[in-house]
Amino acid sequence: MKKYLVLVLAMLMVLSFALSACVPKAPGETPGEATPALGAEPKILRTNNAFEPGSLDPALAQGTHDSWVLDHTFEGLTKKDVDGKIVMGMAKEYKLADDDVTYTFILRDDIKWSNGDPVTAYDFEFAWKRALDKDLASDYAYQLYYLKGGEAYNTGTGSVDDVGVKAIDEKTLEVVLESPTAYFLELTSFYTYYPVNKKVVEANPDWAKNADTHVSNGPFKMTGWEHNATITLAKNDNYYNSSAVKLDGIEFTILNDENTAWQKYLGGEYDFLTPLPQAVVAQLKNEGNPELVIGGELSVYYYNLYNKMEPFNNAKIRKALALTLDRQTICDKIAQGGQLPAEGVVPFGMLDENGKEYRDGVGKLVEYNVEEGKRLFAEGLAETGFKVEDFSKFSILYNTLEAHKIIAQAAQEMWRTNLGIELQLENVDFQVKLDREKAGDYQISRAGWIGDYIDPMTFIDLWVSDGPFNDAKFNNPEYDRLVKEAKATTDQKVRMENMRKAEKILMEAMPVVPVYFYTQPYAQKPYVTGVFKPLNRYPYFIYADMNK
Amino acid sequence: MKKYLLKRVAMAIVTIWAVITITFILMHSVPGDPFRQESKMPKVVYENLLRKYGLDRPLSEQYIIYLGKIIRGDFGDSMKSRVETVNDMIRRGFPVSAFIGLEALLIAIIFGPALGAIAALNQNKWPDYISMIIAIIGVSVPSFIMGTVFIQFLARNISWLPIGGWGSFAHSILPSLALALMPLAQLARYMRSSMLEVLGQDYIKTAKSKGISNATVVLRHAVRNAILPVVSILGTVATNLIAGSFVIEKIFGIPGLGMFFITSINNRDYPLIMGTTIFYAIILVVMLLIVDIAYMLIDPRIKLTKEGR
Amino acid sequence: MENVLEVKNLQISFKTFFGEVEAVRGITFSVGKKETVAIVGESGCGKSVTAGGIMQLLPMPPAFFKGGEILFNGENLLEKSEKQMQGIRGNKISMVFQDPMTSLNPTMKIGYQIVEGLMKHNKMSREAAIKKSVEMLELVAVPQPEKRINQYPHEFSGGMRQRVMIALAMACNPQLLIADEPTTALDVTVQAQILELMKKLQNQLGMSIILITHDLGIVADMSDRVVVMYAGQILEVGLTHEIFASPKHPYTRKLLASVPRLDMNREERLHSIEGTPPDLYAPPKGCSFYDRCSEAMKICKDNMPGFDERSRTHQSRCWLNHPMAQKRNSMNGRGI
Repeated sequence: MKKYLVLVLAMLMVLSFALSACVPKAPGETPGEATPALGAEPKILRTNNAFEPGSLDPALAQGTHDSWVLDHTFEGLTKKDVDGKIVMGMAKEYKLADDDVTYTFILRDDIKWSNGDPVTAYDFEFAWKRALDKDLASDYAYQLYYLKGGEAYNTGTGSVDDVGVKAIDEKTLEVVLESPTAYFLELTSFYTYYPVNKKVVEANPDWAKNADTHVSNGPFKMTGWEHNATITLAKNDNYYNSSAVKLDGIEFTILNDENTAWQKYLGGEYDFLTPLPQAVVAQLKNEGNPELVIGGELSVYYYNLYNKMEPFNNAKIRKALALTLDRQTICDKIAQGGQLPAEGVVPFGMLDENGKEYRDGVGKLVEYNVEEGKRLFAEGLAETGFKVEDFSKFSILYNTLEAHKIIAQAAQEMWRTNLGIELQLENVDFQVKLDREKAGDYQISRAGWIGDYIDPMTFIDLWVSDGPFNDAKFNNPEYDRLVKEAKATTDQKVRMENMRKAEKILMEAMPVVPVYFYTQPYAQKPYVTGVFKPLNRYPYFIYADMNK
Repeated sequence: MKKYLLKRVAMAIVTIWAVITITFILMHSVPGDPFRQESKMPKVVYENLLRKYGLDRPLSEQYIIYLGKIIRGDFGDSMKSRVETVNDMIRRGFPVSAFIGLEALLIAIIFGPALGAIAALNQNKWPDYISMIIAIIGVSVPSFIMGTVFIQFLARNISWLPIGGWGSFAHSILPSLALALMPLAQLARYMRSSMLEVLGQDYIKTAKSKGISNATVVLRHAVRNAILPVVSILGTVATNLIAGSFVIEKIFGIPGLGMFFITSINNRDYPLIMGTTIFYAIILVVMLLIVDIAYMLIDPRIKLTKEGR
Repeated sequence: MENVLEVKNLQISFKTFFGEVEAVRGITFSVGKKETVAIVGESGCGKSVTAGGIMQLLPMPPAFFKGGEILFNGENLLEKSEKQMQGIRGNKISMVFQDPMTSLNPTMKIGYQIVEGLMKHNKMSREAAIKKSVEMLELVAVPQPEKRINQYPHEFSGGMRQRVMIALAMACNPQLLIADEPTTALDVTVQAQILELMKKLQNQLGMSIILITHDLGIVADMSDRVVVMYAGQILEVGLTHEIFASPKHPYTRKLLASVPRLDMNREERLHSIEGTPPDLYAPPKGCSFYDRCSEAMKICKDNMPGFDERSRTHQSRCWLNHPMAQKRNSMNGRGI
């Protein structure tokens, strides 16, 4: 019997050694192991992508887990510069016709794919139409609905030939939009609008699944993809501006756990890291640690109020709630991520018609004023016939996350102290919350909105009365009119003025209670320079440098 | 023996079928679906996606289709990843998880009973106390705390221990250790009480009275008998190991099956949920069968064949 | 005749949470070559502890040897190291235990359990040891020994298992066999067989036996001499026929009287000894049987009598046998 056991043990040992030989070796896992160029140590920036990309095909990308890598491997007609402004990218110039909807882009002459093929207008036409193909079932196809016939084609009611994008010749791309879109150039820098190599994609539908078949046109190209483990990028020598790219490569690990990721950063295995655990951000902020950078973000955190239900149909009640929420304290003491107290629903960082900060032009539309709040609340109670005790039936709904919980607890406490109401808290799964908001099965619910493009409209149009995301069910005809008018023109004066007016109307009615504007804190080692963060994208390493 | 095996295999198949069906029902009864995540998706696109994955058909039809695919070994496409099928993910993730799992199991099997035996032989003296303290820590401290502690204090301070990730044998050391602690502790405690019981038995006295050395008495007489109940709990230990592996894989960033298991549920990625669940069910059933057979082979008092001796 | 075993004033105690338990309080006896000495007494009198003590099989905390000597062939066992004792156990001194159902290792083949000892003590090769174990099984009348050495204990009946135990104990031809209640757990017919076997082996192999029992019937059948123990002390020692014919100690008398006899008529009550043995945490200063003795005198309470050494073979510790004690009438063993 003993021999039997020894035998089994021995077999297990042998098995384990055999398996160890099969342990997949992530290429270049150890820092600085990439092929050294000419004796100098290669500059490989190491960071973490948190989740495995669902796809590295621009048409199929679903979110930041895909787009961070895509933004470094592809480039669209336009791109962002270090100040966050839109500048020409693959296109060297453009013309907008008088009809305000026809754009003609002239592509640069020196643009090539990572495999040497020239980048042509046919690639763009192919890519955009492909993304709209309903059989491809792209999540972000709707971003291309700005194109004439885009939505029709995607929903199956139109043909592909009617889609408003056409390659006139190798270097000329003509684009026709459904209606004037002032921020269209902003959109062309977005990943759904990236080109793909038509030849490669037509020849191999699985081109984006592996590093060796992946072809891109950006400053970096993908040289390795160990699924769920690492993604390795190397400088793309075929990129027209490769002289400005200082890094030799970027290495993304795929590590879910943000605490372990932070440990790796501390241990020197990462040069850069985002996102950071909340407690870490708070700590670094308090220390004044220069490695912490609070990047701007294009998102707002707010509480939906179900306007169709009493007493939330009363504007005074709603405003009272907004006035008695101490946003500054929530940002400083609770969220602790360098967030900014909301002053409206449109975050900071966007420019108005004069090139100035939009928010400066519209002013602070929501503030913390307990006196005023109490007064309005009392009036609201009188008008609706509700009593303070009635609020005990209501709850603050939020999706299960520690961060949301503590903010909700703070809000609950603030409203209790200031207004005397005892609200409940309720947490559910994210999907469940979305369903309940759509169904109107809530009273107060935590929500967030990330802007799709850098223009206030991406927030303002949330609350048109038939808007798909108008969960508060705000309904104001004047608001709708202002938005519709702004959307029909490219005249920034008209647009910005309309949006300012709209936001003021919105904040006067206060169908939702804004809380704060998000930030994206990130950490970078002292020897890392040149990283810049456009407002609605993750940090860019295109011009980054490392000087150890 | 053959008849017994056949019976067990048949039961295993029934069990797995039950797992498939129950998971399917549960999965579809939880609110939410894989595409609502990006709440900005227009209705038409949403419907497109539903159609693509066959989610627009009635549940019973989906179930039959799915069963058909399973029998052919096709777990289907993931709804989140456009790059890999569920089979790809399992094929890629399983060896990784298995490697860590086996490593942890070996650590637990070798050191657990050893610790328990040492404790029993030195009852109420300091080796006993130390062993039992280790055991209690192993059983009570959740593996994610252990994992985090390991990373913070061991990986950060010992240069050749990587901080999470995968790629070499060194990467597997801390995760397996963290994973092994609980089963090690369970086995140690079980072995200790089993040993204590055996040591008080008459046949131990007989063995001693034959004048054989203490070492032989312990190893050949005591351990051999004490290990039997411990083998019987190996099945449970193995299941705990699998469950613990999800957390450990997440913390250490190990690209194994456990990570898929958790993220697939958050994403409502139905095929991946089903695939990983079924896969784990198969593994468990097989493991339990192996343990049962092993137990029968080791204990001579259990008859396997009809022809008694 | 040289004595195989001489126990001199052996004292064994147990350290417990509540204090010291004096289990064996100074006993002296000897066992000669080829002799069978029976140690009788009720439960808890210290006979098993004595047996365990000779073999040094007692758990050493909490047990400890308070004093005395155990001479085996002239050598004091208490001075031997554990390793030396291991060389003696199973080899020169063997033991047979009470419960055959639990005394054999259930997961080890019977043959190996015998072979083990042979290989260790006689340095035999495996094949030779297997041959010898087959012989031993034959000796103890286990049928089909070649087949049975590969079987496990649960495949044997109780009586068979005890035979195996005996085979095990005798394999290395020990000089002294300590049998601790070897037949208590067996039914009567099997009992007789086992006893027959032991007698046969004793004749064949020339060994001495210490037979520990509370069954006086066996004592009469098998032993040459009898030692009567009570509360950790020897109260009487003598040749078997002396003890049975003219017991000198009230306790022995009562023991003999309490054996049910076939010729009792139905109305006669069974005799039992009233009371219980004394608490060994605080053993009495005087005679330990004082509380239960119907013939006790004042002196017995505080003074322990010494051995009356007028006879070389038959001695007892009782004030009644003191030369200065009053003569008692009709002190014949049975029938009080």
